[in-house]
Amino acid sequence: MLHTIPQSLGPVERMIVPPGSARRGKLLLVAATVLLFGVLLAQITDVAGVTSFGFVSWRPLLSGYIIWAGALCAAQVMIRGEAGQRAAFVLPAVLFTVAMVVFPTVFGLYIAFTDWNLSAVAGRRFNGLDNLRTLFADRYFWNALLNMVYYVLSVLVQYAIAFGLALLLNAEIKARKFFRVAFLLPLMLSPVAVSWMIGKSLMEYRFGPAATLARHLGWDNPAFFSTPWLARSSIIAMDAWVSIPFMMILLLAGLQALPSEIKEAAKVDGASGWQSFKEITFPLMLPVSITVIILRVIFQLKLADIVINVTAGGPGGATDTVSSFIFREYRDRSNVGYGTMLAEFYLVIIIIFVALILKGASRWMQRDN
Amino acid sequence: MKVNDFERMMAIGLSRRAILKTGASLGAVAAAGSVLGPFGAVYAQDASLRSQILQVPGVGKGSPTDADWQKVGEMCLEATKKNVKQGEFAGVELSFMGLNNQNLHNVLFRGFLKPWEEYTGAKITWIDLAQADYNPRLQQAIATGTVDFDILEMGAPFEGDVCGKGLASEVPDWVKAQIDMDDYVDYLKAPVGTWDGKTYRISVDGDCHNFNYRTDYFADADLAKAWKDEGHEGEWGVPKTWQKVQEVTKFLKGKSIGGMEAVGYLDAPKAWGGFGFYFLGSRATAYAKHPDDKAWLFDVDTMKPRINNPAWVRAIQDVIDALPSEAGDQLNADPGTTAFQQFLAGTGSMVSWWGDVGASARTSDSSVVGDTIGFDILPGSDDVYNSKTGQWDKLASGPNHAPNMAYLGWGVYVMARVDSDEKRKKAAWSAAAHLGGKDLALWTAAYPSGFQCYRKSQFDIKEWVSAGYDEAFISSYLASQLNSYNHPNAAIEPRIPGIFQYYSVAEDELAKIFAGQATAQAGADAIAAAWEKITDQLGRDKQIALYKASLGA
Repeated sequence: MLHTIPQSLGPVERMIVPPGSARRGKLLLVAATVLLFGVLLAQITDVAGVTSFGFVSWRPLLSGYIIWAGALCAAQVMIRGEAGQRAAFVLPAVLFTVAMVVFPTVFGLYIAFTDWNLSAVAGRRFNGLDNLRTLFADRYFWNALLNMVYYVLSVLVQYAIAFGLALLLNAEIKARKFFRVAFLLPLMLSPVAVSWMIGKSLMEYRFGPAATLARHLGWDNPAFFSTPWLARSSIIAMDAWVSIPFMMILLLAGLQALPSEIKEAAKVDGASGWQSFKEITFPLMLPVSITVIILRVIFQLKLADIVINVTAGGPGGATDTVSSFIFREYRDRSNVGYGTMLAEFYLVIIIIFVALILKGASRWMQRDN
Repeated sequence: MKVNDFERMMAIGLSRRAILKTGASLGAVAAAGSVLGPFGAVYAQDASLRSQILQVPGVGKGSPTDADWQKVGEMCLEATKKNVKQGEFAGVELSFMGLNNQNLHNVLFRGFLKPWEEYTGAKITWIDLAQADYNPRLQQAIATGTVDFDILEMGAPFEGDVCGKGLASEVPDWVKAQIDMDDYVDYLKAPVGTWDGKTYRISVDGDCHNFNYRTDYFADADLAKAWKDEGHEGEWGVPKTWQKVQEVTKFLKGKSIGGMEAVGYLDAPKAWGGFGFYFLGSRATAYAKHPDDKAWLFDVDTMKPRINNPAWVRAIQDVIDALPSEAGDQLNADPGTTAFQQFLAGTGSMVSWWGDVGASARTSDSSVVGDTIGFDILPGSDDVYNSKTGQWDKLASGPNHAPNMAYLGWGVYVMARVDSDEKRKKAAWSAAAHLGGKDLALWTAAYPSGFQCYRKSQFDIKEWVSAGYDEAFISSYLASQLNSYNHPNAAIEPRIPGIFQYYSVAEDELAKIFAGQATAQAGADAIAAAWEKITDQLGRDKQIALYKASLGA
């Protein structure tokens, strides 16, 4: 007896598109599209003063988009049957991403090329490459970018500490479960809370316990945020305290997934602990390590909250980050056009930087293999 | 009425409203010369109500709580009742945007307005903002046409942005009468609060920086002896000029008082969302504000910044010179730190601040300095820079004083969007008038609220003494404010759009100067260049016109 599956049958029986359904679907889609563009046109002419519909916001266009998105999904099913059903599963996510990510990014790009200060009489004006020129001449931006180099380099130190802690928690030590939870606690805290609890309380110059301890240890002037390198190091330390548990937990998961046989074999062959780590554990952990470092670098590039709360970028810009500088440009100066240019330019830098890291890591891994 | 009597009446079921109603009725009879005589008078006088509210919770009895704010709000409701019937605003919902700094401002307004809501039937929803978020939130609402609030707590510097764009509702005459607007101190009368001749603002605060100092420092015999031994000129005492402030600050370095490290003046070099610039301004006005010239921040006809003229550069240099003699981490101190974590917590002997320092000294749980502080107008200068001649002038009248009217006080504004609905409009103005009431003002000046005196009626020393304030302390405190408000050479802040953008950019440059990355002159030149760019971006002609208007030029 032959047990064959006919080619024409799939895991789900194909839906047959009833006659006329495709035509109705196309009609629906055309109607929704006309509606969408009609509302768009009405809103644009209203804003331009050509018509006077009296729109108070862009909400009608949003409603038009939602209706069009619903019609698009329905039309897919009506026109393409089962294939349309499959598309209808994906389309909401795609349309949501377009609305919430793609559109704002593209619109932001337009804003980035305008002179738009919220207090300006003239309102928003296209100003070509002026914002870009200002950016290239902006000492505050380049200073903040240089600081980001230091902050990103500190990720390597954080990684080393996190790896050490992960190894410790992976070993057979007493109260291992307790330490696993305890070491995770900083990760659960908001960086803003950390800023206040540590930066503005524990490290407070007059009554902070850390300052008091430092005085007992012979440091007369325990001002953690008054000289550039000390302030930068203090910020890095606070940020590390929150972030190391994140790296540690991922590395610990990686360590627990390693096959124990290889390490046991190395032990039988007389490898020392260091040799076992250097030749077996570390190389095997490389894929996890690269992932952890890249994720942390991406998070680090967005560092702002602790800096804003504790030092406001000082002393003299020593702890400033690109994000906190953009925040100031927006928040304190209402300089939307230039602030958006900064954000878009930084986005491009981040994309290039992360792409290069990924490429480099990929090559390194291949060479290693 | 004593607070305990008041509480007892509460316990037997009398509502606060009933008590006040009874008091008012008895008062009316008494005023008409009835046989009730002195008994009626106890309840009748406004003075009685004013002394009652000052007992809530009582000076020296810790920080007021929400229950106290509600109690005071209820006690001050009579003025509202004269213009609004009970339940008149049932169904009206209003949105109120304001600050929540130090858990004050809106946090108190909620309590004050709760009895008003109960009486009128209106409901208020709240938009609370931190100081630093206030400006961007307001600017975004203005620029994008998304004003989503009906009542707004706002400072006069923003009037150019709001009133100039037709977003505010004009104060109705009945409100002016209810709050007794003529009682405002002179500098808060028009043109402040007005735009094109129309009044838009109910003041709830008056602003100036005064000079707060520790009396125990300047009465200390050991310090006096050391001062003499080191050959300083004059007697050891409270500095009256910035030159002396510098000298005292450097002198105190390395000294101790009562076994604690002695510290002189407290500068605030760390950025504070633009507001930190006021503190350099307080050091600079005596140098930069010439009695013959209303302008001190920009040239009137061109908006050319004066920030890099010799007067401002001297003020910046003073900070650079003083910082090594101040507390060890002074470079990381913002104004919130200097006032609340340093001065009120016992560190430092001199600080310039708004009236909050004095109001908190004896009424805040976090203050340890109590009555050991004294007050004065900001120090003067032996000479003042004359921008017109480019020379330093020595005035025949002595040191030049120029109190910094920093921020011009908070006000309550009603948005024009309520104008189309008479009921909403009346409700919004009634709520605003309740907060701007004459009696409530006395309480907000006496207790931590974020507000200081702004009415002439608030300067009656007897009322404060009866509330429990030490006479010498409160006389000194009130005199420092009144003498600042009435000073003929007061430095009035320009009410121009985007003023905080200028301040914010300056803070960034000043941070670099104070960290030693630029000289005072080079940094000031950089600020001036950045200010010129902002003026061009905002529209120079418009800025010039508004600046002139704000100076009354």
